[in-house]
Amino acid sequence: MNDAFLVGIVTFVYFFAAFMYLVAFVFRRTGPAKAAMATAFAGLLLHSSALIVRWIESYRLGIGHAPLSNFYESMVFFSWSIVFVFFVMKKTYRTSLVGVIAMFFAFLILAYVSLSGTVDCRIEPLIPALQSNWLISHVISSFLAYACFTIAFGLSVLYLFKHYAPAGFARALPDSSFLDEATHRIISIGFVLLTVGIITGAAWADRAWGRYWGWDPKETWSLITWLVYGAFLHARIARGWTGMKMSLISITGFISVIFTYLGVNYILAGLHSYL
Amino acid sequence: MQKTIYTFLSSVRLTIFLFFAVAATSIFGTIVQQGASPDRYEEMFGGKLLSVLTFFNVFDMYHSWWFTFLLLMLSVNLAACTFRQAPRVIRLAFRKRPVTDDAPFVSSPIRKRFCSRSDREDLERRVSSFLVSLAGAPVRAEKGDASYFFAEKGRFSRFGMTLVHCSVLVILGGGLVGAVWGFSGQMTLVEGGKSDTVTLFSGQGTVNLGFDVACENFTVTYYESGTPREYKTDLAILNNGETVLNDTIRVNHPLTHGGVKFSQATFGVAGGYNFRVDVIDEAANEESTVRMNRMKKHALPGDDLSLAVARFDPDFMGRGPAALGVLIRPGTEHDIFWMPKDLPIRKGSRIFTFRDFDTVYYSGLQVNKDPGVPLVWLGFILIGAGFITHLFFSHVRVWVRIAKVDDGHEISIAAQADRNRDTLENKVNSLVTRFQD
Repeated sequence: MNDAFLVGIVTFVYFFAAFMYLVAFVFRRTGPAKAAMATAFAGLLLHSSALIVRWIESYRLGIGHAPLSNFYESMVFFSWSIVFVFFVMKKTYRTSLVGVIAMFFAFLILAYVSLSGTVDCRIEPLIPALQSNWLISHVISSFLAYACFTIAFGLSVLYLFKHYAPAGFARALPDSSFLDEATHRIISIGFVLLTVGIITGAAWADRAWGRYWGWDPKETWSLITWLVYGAFLHARIARGWTGMKMSLISITGFISVIFTYLGVNYILAGLHSYL
Repeated sequence: MQKTIYTFLSSVRLTIFLFFAVAATSIFGTIVQQGASPDRYEEMFGGKLLSVLTFFNVFDMYHSWWFTFLLLMLSVNLAACTFRQAPRVIRLAFRKRPVTDDAPFVSSPIRKRFCSRSDREDLERRVSSFLVSLAGAPVRAEKGDASYFFAEKGRFSRFGMTLVHCSVLVILGGGLVGAVWGFSGQMTLVEGGKSDTVTLFSGQGTVNLGFDVACENFTVTYYESGTPREYKTDLAILNNGETVLNDTIRVNHPLTHGGVKFSQATFGVAGGYNFRVDVIDEAANEESTVRMNRMKKHALPGDDLSLAVARFDPDFMGRGPAALGVLIRPGTEHDIFWMPKDLPIRKGSRIFTFRDFDTVYYSGLQVNKDPGVPLVWLGFILIGAGFITHLFFSHVRVWVRIAKVDDGHEISIAAQADRNRDTLENKVNSLVTRFQD
């Protein structure tokens, strides 16, 4: 079976899960929440099998490699990471709203790659620089970190919403303190994962390019992202900052994530010209 | 005054400021091209702006005085902050209270109290096993007719964040060592060529390695689509002309010799070809194979005769490739003749056959020496250990008091954890339920 076809189905499953979570949140019922979770979980399983199918297919083509090597594959994995992180962290958040955020972003990313028709989904052979055992650990840790920051971004936007939206709408949203704490928790995890991503990237760069750090745009932007979230954690833990300021830092961090992931490749030039 | 400076340097406020300052300024270097030629910058900016940008070293900003200053401040801030926090962390980790202290039963975030009619011995046994499953072997003490138990675990986890912060210092130290005693540059070796000189990046001159690096052979293979699949260079390291090491490097598989690392970076066609000619000497009854570049004399065994290839035609008179051979003997006229591929040509007692030719490549090597790398690796490992300690362990302390009341015993439980309190609370709850049964 074609993995792109599976990804197409997963796109709709995630959309449906996001919708169910929204229903569960608006009407505060456990029935839709359970159905939403089941749908999301089915989506995650199907999504995982799409990754495996693609992996096997690449071996059949004689260019076997993990499906983590170009724009299409990274986007599909990004979406998978968001849903995966959501399921791991689910216990921490006892609200369907986080489900809406996670499934919405997972859907949005897949919709772009599978429906826009502009993303090349062919399996390509690995160029020499990518032929390394560091590929898997570096990409996985980096994208799990991105996924955490994406969910944090969603929570922070909701925080701003809650402050600026009409009172009736704002009241429906969870407490500010919940949004604040939830953002902090997921950013802590994301920060550790980003650190691992940068370390594995440095180890790889040392093998491939002869130095562990060279101020390449990708490296620099990953440091910028690390510093922004580092500032977030220090402000929160050591200085006790909360609320609006933290949401703004979280949003700034996410802009930096997007720039690290896409901006560097599409706007700036560097060694890290694949994604 | 000194105290004010110390307070300033060790403040988290400064940390947050420096984080944002380094992050914001770093953006410049990703937008303005780094390390290009001065002419190019002249072209791009010119005039006053150029002199301002040059003053702030924006064209090599990550090595500029002000960026180095920011990183230095960050290191000082990190060291001062860690040093200032140390006594508090140590106190929290090793704080000792008398086991018979009643305060935890009032102040702890997790508290339980219930009564039991079981006899004292049985209760004490169960309390011990309760504590063992929560936090390890308890200490027991008595005060009046009450007995007190205390157990703790994970004291070391208090140092997780200290370890992470120290690791960052170790990494920055490794970076400093590399910046002072290391170098980074490149070498371009044509197949068959050798060199002992590294051209440093950003035009800081050259470095002499003290040994020669020779490129013996370069090969590249392609995918059907035309993108390179693999390229590799057979390198030889020569000390005073003598080969001491042979190795093949390819992307992701560098060679390290004498603390210097050679990584495969780029390649290209050097121009020209490499020729292979078989020579049969009937007089001496000898056969040999000669490999040579164009216009390079190659001495033949026996008398003082040399062979060279003066020209190459990939399609000689429509009959395929051929090489123009030149036989050189001092004092006589050169003997010049075409050698179509695979066609034996007799000259005196020798037969020459032009067998093969291939493209001469050059191999671009990235050459680095960085004595700071082990420190950086150590820092990476320690930062990992620190995060694992911080995330997966917590300092758990549990107190239990068994006090005699009218019709049995009152059991009070108090528990504290510096992190993951929910997990501890759930555990205490479920154990208490089992305890009461």
